[in-house]
Amino acid sequence: MANLKEIQRQIKSVSNTQKTTRAMKLVSTAKLRRAEELAKRSRLFAQKTNQVIAEIASRIHCNKVGGIESRCFIQNDAPKTIDIIFVTADKGLCGGFNMQTIKAVRRLIAEYKNKNVSIRIRGIGKKGIEYFNFNQVELLDAVKNLSSAPDMQRSSEFMTRSIKDFNDGIVDAVYLVYNGYKNMITQELHVKRLLPVMIEDFDCEKANNNVLEFEAFDEEKMLDSLMIKYAEYNMYYALIDSVAAEHSARMQAMDAATTNAKQMVKSLNVKFNKARQEAITTELIEIISGVESMK
Amino acid sequence: MDALNLEVLTPSGPIFNGPVMSVTVPGEEGEFGVLAGHVALTTLLKAGVVDVVKEDGKKESIVVNWGVIQVANGKVIVLVDGAVAIRGDSESGIALALEEAKSLISGIADSHAMIASVSARLESAAHSYSH
Repeated sequence: MANLKEIQRQIKSVSNTQKTTRAMKLVSTAKLRRAEELAKRSRLFAQKTNQVIAEIASRIHCNKVGGIESRCFIQNDAPKTIDIIFVTADKGLCGGFNMQTIKAVRRLIAEYKNKNVSIRIRGIGKKGIEYFNFNQVELLDAVKNLSSAPDMQRSSEFMTRSIKDFNDGIVDAVYLVYNGYKNMITQELHVKRLLPVMIEDFDCEKANNNVLEFEAFDEEKMLDSLMIKYAEYNMYYALIDSVAAEHSARMQAMDAATTNAKQMVKSLNVKFNKARQEAITTELIEIISGVESMK
Repeated sequence: MDALNLEVLTPSGPIFNGPVMSVTVPGEEGEFGVLAGHVALTTLLKAGVVDVVKEDGKKESIVVNWGVIQVANGKVIVLVDGAVAIRGDSESGIALALEEAKSLISGIADSHAMIASVSARLESAAHSYSH
């Protein structure tokens, strides 16, 4: 009988877990929808910003002797110091979501260490920070509770430091690593170079045909201030994208967990029935043999 | 008079999109207005109030803390960092938006005079809406 009780206890425990995982899945589904909506609305801003930056940059590039002087646009093939910014989730239970980002960061570190580039790591998200702390990798900055609730102001503050160091010449490139949302079932890992900006071909013909008039002050000054916003915005967008991906990953993980729990309950039920039948059979045999012996 | 199409975009989504008769913005070099047929122009905005006159003559104010405006072919695109639109049908709605706008401005503006001037403009604008 002890065995029966034990199995019963297990069934109860597993089905309780199943309830939790199912609830978590539902919560993630709702949150994902919200995050997706936010990302969609935000993309419009990105398109227009990129368009404006490309237009101004092309104009300066084509019309000014010596091209663009802004550090943000000068391609540097041999950086001496780089910043790696990573974004992970604050919470676990979302499959390999965080690990993928961490692995990508480690690959990037290994790659640049080989080239004798000194690396500064700045992290957002509890899980990634904990990992690197545990492995005694030094982090320049560690921000928690931002990746679960993206906030433009906080992400700008975070980004300002990298931008400032970049403009001052302390770092030569800024990389951003995060796991982004692709669709409901897949996440896409992004390793992006934020600064210096990669600009595709400058379209001189278009730039000169466009009758664009700038207000009196320096075009480069405008480009600089736009670049800062661009970098800040990209950081913010990475956070939104990452949060959407986190929820989709968690949704999947919890869905798988619920299915597994269901199967486990099923097999435990079979086990329970078998054990019960066995107990009945034993009891019957005992009774019959008792009766037999009394004859 | 022809209408122009105005789009005000923030990183968290568009806050205005539609035809307007005119729009007045706080440019880096001073305030200026845009009507239909304006020459193509790109410039920076500083913190302040964007005044919009809609097709039906109704006014709307949007408080911005930084921005870039691009005017081209009858289209006006304003990219801003943070923005609060002062609209709403009830007085309480307007009051709420006002509070939000003031906190946005006081967060970034560097001079008290500027905060005061923006606040004063907002108050008067809100006053005209509620009547």
